[in-house]
Amino acid sequence: MSFDLHRPASVTEAIDLAQRFAPTARYVAGGTDTVIQINRKKIDPVHLIDVACLPGMSEITETADAFTLGALTRYRAIETHPAFRVNLRALQEAASVVGGHQVRNIATIGGNIVNASPAADFVPPLLALDASVDMAGPNGQRSSPLLNFIVGPGKTALLPAEIVTNIRFAKLPARSATAFLKEGRRRAMEISVVCVAACLTLEASTSRCASVRLAIGAASPKAFRPEQAESYLLGQSASKENFAEAGRLAAEASSPISDVRASAGYRRALVAVMVERALETCLQRIREQDQ
Amino acid sequence: MNRKILNIVVNGESHQLLIEPHWTLLQVLRNEIGMMGTKENCLEAECGVCTVLLDGRAVNSCILLAGQAEGCSITTIEGIGDPEHLHPLQEAFIECGAVQCGYCIPGMILTAKSFLDEHPGCRPSREEIREAIAGTLCRCTGYRKIIDAVETAADRIALSGAKQ
Repeated sequence: MSFDLHRPASVTEAIDLAQRFAPTARYVAGGTDTVIQINRKKIDPVHLIDVACLPGMSEITETADAFTLGALTRYRAIETHPAFRVNLRALQEAASVVGGHQVRNIATIGGNIVNASPAADFVPPLLALDASVDMAGPNGQRSSPLLNFIVGPGKTALLPAEIVTNIRFAKLPARSATAFLKEGRRRAMEISVVCVAACLTLEASTSRCASVRLAIGAASPKAFRPEQAESYLLGQSASKENFAEAGRLAAEASSPISDVRASAGYRRALVAVMVERALETCLQRIREQDQ
Repeated sequence: MNRKILNIVVNGESHQLLIEPHWTLLQVLRNEIGMMGTKENCLEAECGVCTVLLDGRAVNSCILLAGQAEGCSITTIEGIGDPEHLHPLQEAFIECGAVQCGYCIPGMILTAKSFLDEHPGCRPSREEIREAIAGTLCRCTGYRKIIDAVETAADRIALSGAKQ
């Protein structure tokens, strides 16, 4: 194991280094995944480009209608940010189950997304918020919906030398709530068996669903949105029966594997129950806001 | 080899060292600076015995490349108190009998310090303390007394803050 560690002062310099040393270069941010992968000899970069030191990339910015999270935002910053305590609770719920306190102090949300683990906890809430990913590379800047950015297990749409700079999502309308649920074999320091995020908006003065976005992790090669379950609920009453049907449709759309953590059948059963519960939690939160 | 200069401050003392790029902060603290209070075990950020404070925040030094800590200030267990001037957490751990084999204790105390420093003057619940130390394992499984100790220390720190 031997590599050079480069510490660029700007995104442009980082991209230049990645181009110069391609294909043996790799970006590293918090390092909580990369360094472990190097120790396990799963990856063997010759040039590590430390982007954790890049200025201005760990800010959480709020505008009138959107939030922008710098790619270097740490989980702990999400967990403790006051703006996410009301209708963006799913972000805090997901951030608070990533690793332990020490990992959350240094691991970045950009890293979690770029790793593209099917079980990444922070991806489903961002999918439920219909988040976009901003990238910078040799050919300039571009954006992609997160849904398309993650291509498969460990695979993203990043081109050589490209780097994620921001994650953006729109603020939610009135009468909206989010929820994130995770099932593991134990409560802490655990890779998800299944995780589910929901984002529900109710019509102005009824209990009908005006907007529904669901996202499911660890139950398919990449986190996905069960479109049939979402469209089933549109215009329907936010009832336990309809939520259960959405859960059933989401389970049908999942394609889980059996592994050391759980069987495919168990995962599918979890998807149904967890989608229903996540929606119920959203509904309860909207009612709390109504009061 | 391609050694590089590393400038770090450890427990208030500046160090300039020549390091290999792949050395972790844990390796530098133990092998180069001789700070043996920071323990080595899983090397995968699962157990927390290697916890140190990086600019005040608890991190796993076993998976932090030392080069990434350039210019940072590190606090190890040796840096938060001495036998004549114990930190309130150290006092509470002794009083509550929270130490069994002792191997996890430096990491446990630094994790607790990072957590308590985030909420100055607050008295966290036992559940919040349990959650905060979830990434720091005690295989003697003496968690109850460890939580007692963190709770006791938090109370005292909150009280002394209120007096000032």
